[in-house]
Order: sequence, then structure tokens, then C-alpha cells
Amino acid sequence: MDAKVIKEEQIGRSVPRMEGAAKVTGRAEYIHNIRLPGVLHGKMFRSRIAHGRIVSIDTSAARAVAGVHSVVTGEDIQRLIAEPYYGPAFHDQPVLALHKVRYVGEPVAVVLATDPHVAEYAAGLITAQYEELPAVFNEVEAATSPIHVHDELKPAITFPDLKHLKGKRGTNIALDYKLRRGDVEAQFASAAHVFEHEFHTQHIMHTPFEPFVALAEPMDDSITIHTSTQMPAYVRLEIARLLGWPENKVKVRTAWLGGGFGAKVYVKIEPMVVALALLARRPVKMSLTMEEQFYVIGKHATTFRIKSAVTADGRISARKCEVFWNGGAYADIGPRVSQKSGFTSTGPYRIEHAQIDSAEIYTNLPPAGAFRGFGIPQLVWAYESHTDIIARALNIDPLEFRRRNILREGDEHPTGTAMRDAEFEEVLVRISARMGWDQPFDRGTGTKRRGRGIAIGVKASIAPTTSFALVNVSADGSAVLFCNTIDMGQGSNTSMAQLVAQVLGTSSERVRVTQADTDVTPFDMGTLGSRSMFHMGHAVRLAAEHAREQLEALCAETGIEYQDEHSIAQAFRKKFGMQAGNIFGVGHYTSRYQPADHDTGMSKEITPFWMIGGTGIELEVDTETGHVTILRMVNVVDAGRAVNPRVVDTQISGAALMQMGATLSEEMVFNEGELTNPSLAFYKIPGMRDMPVAIENEALEAETRSGPFGAKGVGESGTFGVSPAIANAIDDAIGVRLYSLPLTPEAIYRGICAARGEPLVD
Amino acid sequence: MKLPPLDYALPRSLDEAIALLSESEGQAKLLAGGQSLMPTLAFRLATPALLIDLAAIPGLDRIEITAAGVRLGARVRWVDIEQSEPLRTAHPLLVAAMAHVAHYQIRNRGTVGGSLAHADPAAEWPGLCVTCDAIIEVIGPAGSRLIEAGAFFSGPLSTHLAEAEIITSITLPAWPRGRRWGFQEFSRRRGDFALAGIALHYDTDAAGRVLDPHIGVIGACHSPHRLRAAEQAISGQVLDDVLIEACAQAGSAEVDPPTDLHGSARYRRALVHAMLSRALQQA
Repeated sequence: MDAKVIKEEQIGRSVPRMEGAAKVTGRAEYIHNIRLPGVLHGKMFRSRIAHGRIVSIDTSAARAVAGVHSVVTGEDIQRLIAEPYYGPAFHDQPVLALHKVRYVGEPVAVVLATDPHVAEYAAGLITAQYEELPAVFNEVEAATSPIHVHDELKPAITFPDLKHLKGKRGTNIALDYKLRRGDVEAQFASAAHVFEHEFHTQHIMHTPFEPFVALAEPMDDSITIHTSTQMPAYVRLEIARLLGWPENKVKVRTAWLGGGFGAKVYVKIEPMVVALALLARRPVKMSLTMEEQFYVIGKHATTFRIKSAVTADGRISARKCEVFWNGGAYADIGPRVSQKSGFTSTGPYRIEHAQIDSAEIYTNLPPAGAFRGFGIPQLVWAYESHTDIIARALNIDPLEFRRRNILREGDEHPTGTAMRDAEFEEVLVRISARMGWDQPFDRGTGTKRRGRGIAIGVKASIAPTTSFALVNVSADGSAVLFCNTIDMGQGSNTSMAQLVAQVLGTSSERVRVTQADTDVTPFDMGTLGSRSMFHMGHAVRLAAEHAREQLEALCAETGIEYQDEHSIAQAFRKKFGMQAGNIFGVGHYTSRYQPADHDTGMSKEITPFWMIGGTGIELEVDTETGHVTILRMVNVVDAGRAVNPRVVDTQISGAALMQMGATLSEEMVFNEGELTNPSLAFYKIPGMRDMPVAIENEALEAETRSGPFGAKGVGESGTFGVSPAIANAIDDAIGVRLYSLPLTPEAIYRGICAARGEPLVD
Repeated sequence: MKLPPLDYALPRSLDEAIALLSESEGQAKLLAGGQSLMPTLAFRLATPALLIDLAAIPGLDRIEITAAGVRLGARVRWVDIEQSEPLRTAHPLLVAAMAHVAHYQIRNRGTVGGSLAHADPAAEWPGLCVTCDAIIEVIGPAGSRLIEAGAFFSGPLSTHLAEAEIITSITLPAWPRGRRWGFQEFSRRRGDFALAGIALHYDTDAAGRVLDPHIGVIGACHSPHRLRAAEQAISGQVLDDVLIEACAQAGSAEVDPPTDLHGSARYRRALVHAMLSRALQQA
């Protein structure tokens, strides 16, 4: 590229968020605000039992309510769609329960009415008779339980590595990823030290402040779906598959998303609104309440058994990991979580002998799927707590122990993929430098004890995936980018516009990004797993380069020197005699990937890039209440080159604070499968006054040579180290080690009492 | 969610409000600050036919400080107490406790009368009233009467307020110079309802002995009450660390806390111990 035409570098510029003003003044468009004439509102009747056969559903009282249009059950759906089961990994989830219910809260029937309150009232009049079946809730029990959530496994065609599970009966295991490298047992037999622990994480929910909302609008021979989704292209694909229609008859569009965090990936309520709208022949809107979100999708609870062999000089020679993922009643994208994250279970360490068994397990609980970090926070919680325990037991400084074992450039990850552009050690160095790790530390007095801890985690990008982009340059030199990357609050539109402007040599403010609309925006796999800056970033770069080639040709043809948007405008005017015309640039990108071997789990190219995030924590524990005050939180990530440093900074702190809530207070509490706290009064998300006293973020000065302009994804990296860094700091402060999340004041206080030999007896 | 359909009335006098309340035969709810009532309606946990808004009744928002004590009109808001300069000396315990009441947005609307009528056992204000010997003035079709705060609550979210009665004011007895006080509470998040909290005050004689101790508990109880054994433990004694510990033990032994989603009974009992000990140290 000709450097002299670029007036200002667009990469590395903290361009203000393009939607900022519209959002803070309340003018940004959200799906919830769409008003369509003749719309019907749907409200669900949900299962109150965890597992059972449906004997009968009595909808007569609901149908009799004035204002009710109709009541729809699973059998009605089946009249429209013979096989009404959806899901990205398994076709296991019915649009409405058919024959069986598999968790408390599963949708069983929907009332349609012109007034949502009428629909809700009528839904409350529906009753159902069930033949109750025994249920299984715990992931470890479910792995071998005679109680089976599904009679037969039905893998979707999307993922080749699930094919071997087709038709399998008598199991709850929906995916069993294995890694076998070297001989761990021989190492355990001969090692100087062996450590073994079991860790647990709890079910939590994404709680986007815009709950799920979708509106289906039947047309003459097509259907438009207005939906708050992170994956418009996939919604189109899956709806087309369910209906047996060509993709071009299904139009999916989004507006701004009020948060996603992984909750709105793949399909959620879209099949339901589509089926209802086609049955009713009217537009149908479903807008879930905050409480209902708990029954749609959450984050896997896990049990992680981890065992390490350590040499006399403090090197990890072998590690064995057994991870049980509680997937709930429907697989959603859970099997991908247990595999794509599962293969990183040994952590960011150089370990010659490694064994991983990572299993996605069906239970009679609400489904679990993608959640900011895609399973990585659960894994880092365990392996970085374990790592700290080992360091302390061997009397090695926890930072030093990590540095002794950390993966370095060129080292082989246990999967067999060599590390490239992965600044693990530098992340540790920067955290410890900021914390003054080698300086004396005030340990507090009396009932206020202080401690500090660090932790670091690694994530692989989901692969292989594809992104397409289209850049439309207008005759005045301004441009519109058509891309399906969804800006759900992370600032992607601003960053993508910067990439276009960088290539065209214009300013970012002269580039606008459309909202996704599958009739016009080209295919993208989806906005998830921090993949967009890398994959869509490349596609956008290529599309902009394609546009620039044509613009340069236009300038050459018209005798104008290519400089900026003004010269582009001049060239258009000269060519067409007026301000007219367009230049279209197209680009697409598919990441390189080599599938893991089924038997060994190994691959030479398991991911297009590695994400790295670490956290350092200084905290104070109140020993009489168990309350933790985070005095200082230091988050350092390797995000490659920061396209928009301000956006990167807010991504790091947003991710870290979200994980802080998951660490200290958030928990979906079940009693025999029934969620006891589906409300923000009882499900505790930290508020502004619960934030750390001080928080600092750093994106290393790094470059991802394979990434667009040296960049890579950063949406999740801030989550990785938070939970174990907090637990490690608690241990440092009061000598209490906790193995289960969340680290509530009561759990910590109970730990304190137990440690002094006076356990609380209820 | 939106509120259920209901009628709304804005009476200009107490007489008018009482008449509306009597006519409604239990189908009406009084609206003061609305910080508990409005969410209850929005979740449709209550569906009254009529809301009687007390906003236009004159005189209910006054704070009066006299030799007899502090008289708060029922519509006095938390923020009025928090920002009142005279109350800092007239009733420092009351002012200090306000910082713990929910969040500032709620303190801008929530009222002292509304909180008493709602009677949440984890709320600060009912506990303060019980601890400080408050007298609650109510008015109904039969005229007005005075109720001691200690006899006002009948359990979680319930009171001895008769149908068609309206709380009009709360009077806290005069605060003697030199009175010692403490307020401590613990909640899971800042601004949440307390898992356990302690309000206390006592006077001292010339020898520094504790006179007339008042210790009240919130959160770790079904309705706020005095901790008599804890009071007994320090009454007539000069406080020291040993006595504070004995008092905290007595207090945590005599509470009967609930177990719920927010915390176990055993944990709340431990919190009562810590809060009581800290409140005494604070005093």
C-alpha cells in the first residue's frame, strides 16, 4: 500500500464509538421497539417438572379468555414442521415440548393474543398432566446414570466430529473429547511430587439487559425475522432447514443488541416465533422477561478433576484432566464448548505428558452453551487454583513457578500445535510489574487480612470459520460496510469502520456500517468467541483492498491522483459526469485449521490464534464476615495490535468485571431441578458500588502476524484469570483454599471457621 | 412489566384518604414513596383496585425537633433525614443509618411511613424504631392512636395496623447529650437488604457505667426486636473487650434468624455476633 496517501493512521486510533450518541440519547433502534400492524404476542406455559412424559395438556380455559387468538402446543407445531427439532450440534431441541419434558421451565405451550398481558394471563390457566420420570441433575452422576435425558443422540450435520455419536442410545454423554500425549501414568508413578484436586463451578446466566426478543413477519412467499441475535446467517440457515425452504426466502435482520455475551448465538426463540407466525398467518412477537432468560441458556456448571506430576526442580512433567460439563437438557453449542475449550484444559504450560477427557453431559437442567469465554473461565478456575496450590506446597513463589513452566514462542502445546504470537510470559511480567510483586506487601491486621494472587489463562479461537464482507464506496468517497458482525455493545462497528478507512486512506468517520440483514449483508459464521476482529477483520480488509484496487484504476483512468475521499469523488464525477456510481469491494476469509485426531486429540494447527489473559488481585478479607474487598485488579491481555485502544480497554474491564460477578456472587440455585432464584433480586450481579477499589487494564504491545494489521480478538481475554486470581489471593490472605464457585462471603466465612477447627454446624 | 389496571386517587386531606380507604373494603393500597409497592404491582404480586396517593396531603413531610424528641411526618424521605443538619445532633444514630438504606435513587423517594407499613424485617428503619422506642401515630375512622414501635410489627411484612388506618408520624424520644450509639450492618452487595444488622445506643453514668442500653437487630430476625439478653449483659457495667465479647455472644445466641437464599441461619448468627461487637466498639 502506498503510505503517502494515508493522512492519518486509522489503526491504533481511539475513534469515538459511532453509535454512542444515539444510545445515550435513547434513539438507537432495538428490536423490542418495532411495532407491526396486526402483531400477536406470544407468552409461554412452561414445565414445572424436571423430567416426564406429557400425558395431556389442557388449554381450554386459556382458549376461552377474551382476546386470545390461539393456543399452540408441540403437536400443533408438528403439523407445520414434521421434525421440529433444532440445534447447532444436535437436532435435539423441540420448538415446543413433544411427548416429553426434560427440565423445569421448558416451553410446553404458547398463548397468542393481541395484548401480551392477556396472553400471559391465559398462559397461567393452562395445565398439563405428566407421567413423571426420575431425573438427573449432577454432571458427574449423569455421566454414568441409568436415567437418560434423551433416548437417542441426534447429531446435526454441521460438525463432522460428532458423526460417530449418531444413533447412540443409553448415554447422556453428548461429546467425549480425548487428548492422549505421552504417558501420564508412568510420570505419576515416578514423579517427585503428585498433586490432585477437584474443582467446581456453578450455573450462571448471561443476563443481557435486553432479554431475548424476536418478531416473525410472514410475507407472501417468504418470512422476515427481526431478532436480537449474534448469528443472523445461522438463524437463516436453521430456519430454512426446519421449513425446507431455500435460504433466500428467509430474511433475518437485527438492530442494536442490548448485550449478548454468547446467550444470543445460534437459534434461541426464533424457531418458535417463525412457527407461530406461520400457523397464525400473522406477525408474532415474543419478548422474554428477565426471569424467563434463566430458562433459555446459561453457563455450564462443571466438575474438573486435575492431577499433576511435578519434578524436584518444580517443573510440571505430566497433567491429567477430567472435565465434566453440565450441558442441561439440550446440547445447544455445549459440545463445542467441551471440545474447543476442553483441549486447553492443561493450561498455558509446557507439559510433555498430558491426558484430557472433556465430556459434555446431558442433565435435567436448563441448557448451557456459549458464555463469554466459551468454557475457558471454568477451566482456568481449576488449573490456576491447582497451579497455585502446587507452588505454595513446594514453597516456590507462584509467579516464579508459572514462569518456570509457561509456554514460550515455538513451544509445542500439548495438542501438538506450536505456539506463535502468544505472549504468555510477557503477560505475567506486566502483571507482576504493575503489582510490584517483588515488593513488600501490607498484609493487614486484626479482622482485615490482605492477600494477593495471580492467574493466567489461554483460549483457542473456534475454527474453522468463514466471514464475508462487502464495501460499497459511494461517489462522494464515503463508504458503507456490509457485514454480519453484530455490534452488541463491544464496539465492533467502530473498529470495522477503522479497517475500511485504513485501507481506503479515508477517515473512519466517513465509513458507516449497516445493521445485519441477510438479504443484503453477506454470510458470516457469527459474532462469538472473539473471532470477529480476526476473521471478519480479514474479510473487511480484503473487501476494502478490492475496492481500493478498483478506485485506483478509476483514478488512473480519469487522470486523478489517488489521495483521499476528495480525489475519489473527483474521479467519480469525471467518469460519470456527475456525482454518481458505486464501487463494490468484496472479501472473504476462512481460517486455517487441521481437525484434532479422534483418538489422540492432537493437531498441528488446532487454532488460527491464541488468546491470552491474566489477572492480578490484591484484596482484603473481613475474617468475621467473609466479605472480600478487591483493592486492586490488574488485567493484562495479549490482543495483538489494538485497532481501537479505548474499545480494547473497555472490552478488558467489561470481561473482567463480568467474571468477577461469576466469581463472587452469581449463582443459579436449583432445588431438585427447580430454579429457586430466577430474579435479579435474588440472582446477585455486582452493582457499581461493588466494583474493585482500583482497576487497571493493559493490552500488551504485541502483534499477531497472521491477523489483520496485527490484531486478534479480545472480547473474552479479560475473563480468564479473574476467578483463580481472587481465590489465590484469598488463600494468601487467610490460608483458606476454596474449590467451588461462587466465593460468597458465607462460603469464605465457613472456610475460615473450618480452618480453625470450628466448622459451622447448621 | 406494567402495572395491572387500577384506579388512582389523590386525596387532599387525611379525612378524604381515610374515607377512600374505608370505602374500598381492603381493595385499596396507600402510595407514599412507592419503592416497595410499585415493583410489587409491576410484578403483579399485588393487584389492588385503587391506589390512594398520599402526596397531596399537607404536613406529612415535616421534620420537627423539639424538647420531646424528633417527630417525622410519614412522608419524610430518607434523603431528607440524610441531609438534615439539625438531625446530626438531634439524632445522630438515625442519620448514620441512612447511608445503609438501599441506593440513593431509592432514598430520594422512599419514606419513613411507607417503610413501617411495609415492615420488611431486613430494612433499617423498622429496626431503628424498635431500638429507639419510637412512637407511631396512626389515624383511622375512629380517630388517632399511638402505637409503640415494639408492639407494631406482627411478623415479616405484617403489622398491627388496622384496616383503614394511616401512619401519620413517628416520634423518636429526645436524644440526651453524650448518648453513645452504633450502627452496623452486613449485606451481600452494597445497598442490598441486610443479612444482619445492629442498631444500639446507651447512656453512661459518671463512673462510665452503661445505663439503659437499647440493642436492636434487623435482618437476622422475622421482625425487628430488641436483644434483651445482650442489653442485660452490659447494663450497669463499664464496657471492655471481655464484656463486648460477652454481649456479642449473648446477642447471637438469642436471635432466631431465618435460612433463605441469601444466607443460612448459622451464618446470620455469626454476623450478629460480628455486627454487635463492632457496633459496641463504634459506640
